[in-house]
Amino acid sequence: MIEAHELTKRYGDTTAVDGVTFTVSPGSVTGFLGPNGAGKSTTMRMIVGLDHPTSGSVTVDGRPYAQHRSPLGEVGALLDGRAVHPGRSAYQHLRALAATHGIPRRRVEEVIELTGLQSVSRRRVGGFSLGMGQRLGIAAAVLGDPRTLILDEPVNGLDPEGVKWVRTMVRHLAREGRTVFISSHLMSEMAQTADELLVIGRGRIIAAGPVEEIVRSTQDDRVRVLSPRAGELVDLLTAGRAEVVPVGPGALEVCGMTSAEIGEAAAASGVPLHELTPLGGSLEDAYLSLTHSEVEYRSEQSLQESRS
Amino acid sequence: MTSHAEVTRAPAPARTLVTAPVTFPRVLHAEWIELWSLRSTYWTVLATLVAMVLIASLMAVAATVAPPDSGTAPDGTMAIGLGYSFAQVVVAVLGTLVVTGEHSTGRIRSTLAAVPRRVPVLAAKAVLIAALSFVLGVVGVALSFLVSYPLLGSAAAADLSDPQVQRLFWGTGLYLAGVGLLGLGIGALLRHTAGAITATLGILLMLSTLVQLLMMTSDWFTRMYPYLPSTAGERIATPEVTTALAGAPVALSPWTGYAVFMAYVVLALAAAALLLRRRDA
Repeated sequence: MIEAHELTKRYGDTTAVDGVTFTVSPGSVTGFLGPNGAGKSTTMRMIVGLDHPTSGSVTVDGRPYAQHRSPLGEVGALLDGRAVHPGRSAYQHLRALAATHGIPRRRVEEVIELTGLQSVSRRRVGGFSLGMGQRLGIAAAVLGDPRTLILDEPVNGLDPEGVKWVRTMVRHLAREGRTVFISSHLMSEMAQTADELLVIGRGRIIAAGPVEEIVRSTQDDRVRVLSPRAGELVDLLTAGRAEVVPVGPGALEVCGMTSAEIGEAAAASGVPLHELTPLGGSLEDAYLSLTHSEVEYRSEQSLQESRS
Repeated sequence: MTSHAEVTRAPAPARTLVTAPVTFPRVLHAEWIELWSLRSTYWTVLATLVAMVLIASLMAVAATVAPPDSGTAPDGTMAIGLGYSFAQVVVAVLGTLVVTGEHSTGRIRSTLAAVPRRVPVLAAKAVLIAALSFVLGVVGVALSFLVSYPLLGSAAAADLSDPQVQRLFWGTGLYLAGVGLLGLGIGALLRHTAGAITATLGILLMLSTLVQLLMMTSDWFTRMYPYLPSTAGERIATPEVTTALAGAPVALSPWTGYAVFMAYVVLALAAAALLLRRRDA
């Protein structure tokens, strides 16, 4: 269980993480979704004590990370960028990490096998491909068989087979009752991997909850209507609680009514329709609308501030 | 996709592996593995010993070919007492790289995530670097003696029963240990390889020359000269100065000098430890 309370990180004038409060529960995969630069990596670094919060606090299983006596058994983390010396072999990199916690060589060999690095484990890491480096990072994260797993963009640089492997692995680990916190800037990736979602934009939590719920709440519900008598249709639809935006000659975008409701209303009044298309956006649209509204909200606010 | 109600009833994770608490001996073991799994460590060890042996051989050869009427008898003590000046360059680089190499590659994040209390990491590096540099110094002088002995002959070679000569053996080790630690401390402070090496070598090799030039401007520099890190520290690794020139700065005794030198080293390491705790990795 990860609990963040009013967690804030400022670098000079920039606020990377702006008072976020959230809980990541065990037993499910929690996705941490946000565009690049939204504060995902900074938040994750603060959880494992690499960055110190400007204010606020974050605990893992009830304690700040640094206060755990055996931290790698509590939290395994794959953070952004390589955290490996290129002159060292994968095996020696893991061996040194294992030594700090008295983890036996047997376990080092085990995670090397688990991540499919057997054939390259004695080679220097400097020559690793992006995908191999990512696998090594995951090997280091699971080394201590941790209760909580934090993975920052784990599928970056992996081939499709690797992506599938990560997905299966994290879901398996979560089913075992572990806490899995995994970041991505891709909604489609999260929809396939995560149970719960935490959406962050500009350092603030924009949405949190089960994936389906968030997708549903942000799903685009506009309907595109083409009619030769569009003017009449506008009056008709606005009378019944819908918002209507003319988008071209005879073309309307209707918000607040389903395509079925629009079709029936038009038929009842004898208005012919040439097209009736639900724009029901993709996941990426939903995500864009989430983060976009955050941007809009911000700029509107600053506009008001500058006026007053 | 599992529903929320289901997942909250998930069993506690069945961990098959028991991880032990992080202790200093474990961190030391980890740092030992890290040190000896990099090629640069082997290169610096080799370079240190080669440099010391080469200097000893050159000094020995120079001593034997000096014209007999020049008044300078072949001096075996000088042959084994100068190697440190070249070895210190390599040892300073080694001490620096051990920490800046972690920062420049990002490896430090793995290390500090494993040991979030951080200071034990620096302490373990310090123990290893001090021990390795000490051994290099002692072995280097021993090898220097071995190569200079046949060149100089038993009459001119350093006299092993002389306490002054005995001091050179472990004194060189002690000085190099301090140099390695100074490199480590400055490396941990600056976290940047080129900057840290430049700073460390500047302090060890150029600061004394700079102060020598400034002596002409003020007596203060003359009085300060013996207390510089290099001039103070080197005393333990060099033959005793018997004649002081009039007006020249008075060198400290070997032990006083070493104590002054180590005070600088401790200061650098303490500042590094403090910043290591505070800074973001």
